[in-house]
Amino acid sequence: MTERERRPPETPGPAENAPDPEDAPRSFTESVGAWFGTAVGGIAIPVASTVLAFLVGGLVVAATGHNPLGAYKAIFEGTGLNPLSYISEDDRRGAWADLQQTLIIFTPLVLTAIAVAFAFRCGMFNIGGQGQYLVGVYAAVLVGTSLSGTPSFLHILIAIGASILAGVIWGGIAGILKATVGAHEVITTIMLNWIAIYGGQYLFELGGPLQGAQESIPRSDPVMDAVHLPAFPLSTGLQPLHIGVLVSIAALVVYTLLLNRTTLGYEVRAVGFNPEAARYGGISVGRSYFLALAIAGAFAGLAGSLDMLGWKYTVATNDIQISAVGFTGIAVALLGRNKAVGIFLAALLFAALQTGTSARQLDPAVFPPELAIHLSTLIQALIILFVATELLIVYIWGARKRLGFGGPARVQPELKA
Amino acid sequence: MATIDAAERPLADRLRRLTEPRAIALLGIALGILAFWLALPPWTIRAAGIPISVGLLGAFAGLWALMRDERKLGIWAIAVSGLGIAAALWAQGRDESSLQAVVSVGLVTATLRFATPLAFAAIGGIFNERSGIVNIGLEGMMLAGAFFGIYVAAETGSWVLGIVGAMIAGATFGLIHAFFTITMRADQIVIGFAINFLALGLTGYLFRSIYGPEGTPSDVPRIPDVSMPQFIKDIPFVGPVFGDLSVMTWLIIVIVVLSWAVIFKTPIGLRLRSVGEHPRAAETVGISVYKIRYGAVILSGILASLGGAYISFGFGGSFNENMSGGRGFIALAAVILGKWHPVGAFGACLLFGFASGLAQRLQGEADISANLLSTLPYVLVLIALVGVIGRSRPPAAVGRPYVKQ
Amino acid sequence: MADRPLLELEGITKRFPGVVANDDVHFELAKGEVHALLGENGAGKSTLMNILYGLYHPDEGEIRLNGETVRIDSPSRAIDLGIGMVHQHFMLIPVMTVAENIVLATEPHKGPFIDIAGAEKRVRELSEQFGLAVRPEARVESISVGQQQRAEILKALYRGAQILILDEPTAVLTPQEARELFDIIESLKAEGKSIVFITHKLNEVLEVADRITVLRRGKTIETVPREGATEQGLATLMVGREVLLRVDKPPAHPGDPVLSVTDLEVDDERGLPAVRGVSLEVRAGEIVGLAGVDGNGQSELVDAIAGLRKVRAGRIVVAGKDVAGASARESLDAGVGHIPEDRHLRGLVLDFTLAENLSLHDYRTAPESRFGWLYPRKMVAKARRILKEFDVRGGGPETPAASLSGGNQQKVVVAREVSRDPAILLAGQPTRGLDVGAIEFVHRRLVTERDEGRAILLVSFELEEVLSLSDRILVMFEGRIVGEYSPDVTEEELGIAMTGGGREQEAAA
Repeated sequence: MTERERRPPETPGPAENAPDPEDAPRSFTESVGAWFGTAVGGIAIPVASTVLAFLVGGLVVAATGHNPLGAYKAIFEGTGLNPLSYISEDDRRGAWADLQQTLIIFTPLVLTAIAVAFAFRCGMFNIGGQGQYLVGVYAAVLVGTSLSGTPSFLHILIAIGASILAGVIWGGIAGILKATVGAHEVITTIMLNWIAIYGGQYLFELGGPLQGAQESIPRSDPVMDAVHLPAFPLSTGLQPLHIGVLVSIAALVVYTLLLNRTTLGYEVRAVGFNPEAARYGGISVGRSYFLALAIAGAFAGLAGSLDMLGWKYTVATNDIQISAVGFTGIAVALLGRNKAVGIFLAALLFAALQTGTSARQLDPAVFPPELAIHLSTLIQALIILFVATELLIVYIWGARKRLGFGGPARVQPELKA
Repeated sequence: MATIDAAERPLADRLRRLTEPRAIALLGIALGILAFWLALPPWTIRAAGIPISVGLLGAFAGLWALMRDERKLGIWAIAVSGLGIAAALWAQGRDESSLQAVVSVGLVTATLRFATPLAFAAIGGIFNERSGIVNIGLEGMMLAGAFFGIYVAAETGSWVLGIVGAMIAGATFGLIHAFFTITMRADQIVIGFAINFLALGLTGYLFRSIYGPEGTPSDVPRIPDVSMPQFIKDIPFVGPVFGDLSVMTWLIIVIVVLSWAVIFKTPIGLRLRSVGEHPRAAETVGISVYKIRYGAVILSGILASLGGAYISFGFGGSFNENMSGGRGFIALAAVILGKWHPVGAFGACLLFGFASGLAQRLQGEADISANLLSTLPYVLVLIALVGVIGRSRPPAAVGRPYVKQ
Repeated sequence: MADRPLLELEGITKRFPGVVANDDVHFELAKGEVHALLGENGAGKSTLMNILYGLYHPDEGEIRLNGETVRIDSPSRAIDLGIGMVHQHFMLIPVMTVAENIVLATEPHKGPFIDIAGAEKRVRELSEQFGLAVRPEARVESISVGQQQRAEILKALYRGAQILILDEPTAVLTPQEARELFDIIESLKAEGKSIVFITHKLNEVLEVADRITVLRRGKTIETVPREGATEQGLATLMVGREVLLRVDKPPAHPGDPVLSVTDLEVDDERGLPAVRGVSLEVRAGEIVGLAGVDGNGQSELVDAIAGLRKVRAGRIVVAGKDVAGASARESLDAGVGHIPEDRHLRGLVLDFTLAENLSLHDYRTAPESRFGWLYPRKMVAKARRILKEFDVRGGGPETPAASLSGGNQQKVVVAREVSRDPAILLAGQPTRGLDVGAIEFVHRRLVTERDEGRAILLVSFELEEVLSLSDRILVMFEGRIVGEYSPDVTEEELGIAMTGGGREQEAAA
């Protein structure tokens, strides 16, 4: 055998005539990330990105004349994640309520993140989580305010089913357009978001077809008590923790199994990595695109119904405008690297950030809540920037030199000799 | 086989071309539009039969083409004809005066007004896509231009400095996008998305931090209109439309022509296109791929921010959180519909501007929900994308990071 | 040589992660000389020339031009020094015209605008001066590969190149076009240009070069004059051991037809006819070679049989079943095995493990999965068995395909296709880009499969491969089969048929 074939596996080297130098290289980031992710542990870069994002966010806070440490501390106190809050009897009650709030927000974030991650694994960027979530909300409200007299359990199932169906349709439209005419999913899902936003505002505006009984308020009727999701026995306060949080954790398990242990998941991953090879292998690429976006829509639609049946119960045009669950889900998926555990932790982080910056938790004397909301958007944006640019972190750690020799050969795939 | 007489050939060819399914389908589309138009001023035909028969004719033309393998255009002709009939019948049920109020010179100016910010962002988008970079951060760059423009204008009391401020903000966001996508080779769509979020958070934060609940001051200097001499204003139709257009509308018209010339007629344009089509080929003749791409993305940030400036202190006079409202994304669609050509993209922007203008006027006159009509441009984008894709070719290297050797 | 060489490369070393691509390489070029750089794929030829052209920077060593040490840190520097390169994969922009491509970055202009008419005029003058016929106003995507190559050469000459590097210039040409290229090289030489000719084809070297430098695994082995050099001697230098230039194979015993294609018509991506009425038959136990220049419909024909491309008209019968217009999966199920032309684009999902790649066709059936539920352990077990049988090295079932060498990746593809026991095996360029060891493996395996009664349709642009493997040879030109030959046909005869010559002769007769 030739010497080349005895080389260790990690040095595939330049035996190849790479077909076209530009086809082969993936982004440098991707390659470094792949190596770095496994070598240092997938956790290092997300954590470093998060820390860096908070640092930069702190600079903005300081530049506008506030104390960043004080602001962050106040935000953290409001999340219910500080173990010290549980020591004294007085703090404990408030901390429990905060923690419940964090978990309530955590629930839809996990699901919209899965909606992004699943499409990602099929090679698509689903920006449409927001629209898919919203149509799920509308469907849940529609079912939850009608069909009176249906047994509670059945009614809940119908409402959830309707939301999932709505999400499937909304995601599926983008999927069909991608599969048939090749319309880029980024554009179509963005357009579908806006259609869902304005369409929803139309539904619930004054005089709108689904506006509630109170004629002066652009809002739906509240859903019937029968469709309210049960709360955890020990939960307290105005917004008790509903069992939807268990559904979302179960969804993480479903997501992982669907992707790794089913033929559908195999197809989705194959198409995501290399659609041409998948087609050659006998996989219908268009069908995979459609199914991936439809299933993504199902997860996001489910999030909509859990929110409606779990704690919101009603939707106003105002809520539709300010809702950003689907967009935050993108940040969660990116930070969580499309992995179940990662999504779990990232969703917890963003949920905590949102709880901690809400007007109810934050003392205006320490840091104005109306600023804090924007600060959390800013930090999310920075996290996405840094996570997408693992290379930057590598630069900052001065680890670049080491990569010169240790990186995967894919770093230099255009080699030919 | 008998040969056709050479002299007869051109005529035969021409006849055949006119009866090709493609031509017939296009005729069908035109008939569908005509069906609607007949019910509008200045014709305002009130007999239902006329638009119906014209529309049906169009639909038949579409069907004929459909059966002869001209699938896409055939379906289009049928759809347009159906819509044309429906819209015509609806219009016939309306007051002539309200129709006149909707369909008038005002509609043309409204179209231009709505198209202006879109076109700035779209031309910006053409530059970065031609260089091989996807920029879905146009939306955020517009927002940054809108905020920082009005901020500087309010602080200095000068709309010119406000525009400069917007351009600097746009250039900065362009630079951030360029750094992460070109030097760091991160995923272009993810970075663009992050740019949007970043602009949303930053402008929202600063807006609340600086202006508090009252919002921007009411006496912000506005970008002025260009008032034409009276004799031009007196020309029917032309006068009312072009008499008092914003400086920015005139500017974008100039920019459209200029960018067409730059992209297709100058050395720098040739280099820009070469970088977007085949960066390695460009590099082997000594063109710096990175420099061109940086330049194109920063330029696109500047242009998008000008569109934002027009929104905040052009025809409006204030800033609101997230006030770009998805225009950056529509601009992105306009780039595709316009086939990466400045004039084509401007045409697409006019189409979307028309949809917005029509929606605004219908809402006032016909009492249709504003929210419902607001979905119109987005639905239009979806439909238009289905029609145009496959027949337009993006720059070959777009979206792919370039690794310098 | 008494004169000082025009160009000297001295002690060049270039390392890439895990590989030393050039190891203390020496190379020199005299004025007016054609100097061939000979070596297998992966020997370091292109790396050396990319260093000379400023695309890579050497870790050690120096470059001297006219005796002076120069530092070439970018292609523009190389151009300034009078060095031009014609890359193996053309550096031309398909949507632009020939003239635009040639003047790119040094555009003549009138005021701020490009002077396109001036550019076209200049290009026309140059093309007449050197006998490089090409239309300056034609779009690159609409002209032939040979013309594209001439445009590339003009691009270098336009920039005042004195030294021309031609990287594997004949790889994409027909024998006739190659002949024309050799004439062009002669006329360039007559004009005083110096040429580096990179190749791995021995016969070309002996035809065109004045001197020959052989590279092997990144090292200079020897520089020899053309006089006295023989193919066998060069081959030994190149590979480092004796090589068999022909494949040993027993005579074929063809059985029943397994694949029969009748009046097949297929369109290409642009909707233009690519396969125009092809009929052919492949019988069990024979290798049918499909010769032809790239782009004459071979790829489309193979794709159509594999269900990867729509069929406009005609029939494709595989083992008694009509699969014209069938999906890829239906073709696979009917018994088509397919080693695709481009293993990176199609053959492998590089991010998948070897086990996942080996199940690419069969993941939907037991034992890999049942009722949509995957059994990864079953996939791994199967993979372990196949990898062992085909002697794939460099990784186990759970190794990502991307981390294998090219030869081993191709073995994985061959293993997957063969182990499914297909009735007909389509082999598209099965040895492209492989080193000699891997080529021998693939060739031996194909012959073994044939001997065991499999029908094989081989597509290759390397005439030598077609001649040495096939039991029958079909020549394809402009979407049609223009002739059938037995393997004792000469390369020249095939070459004429590949450019449509055979058909014209028939028509004249």
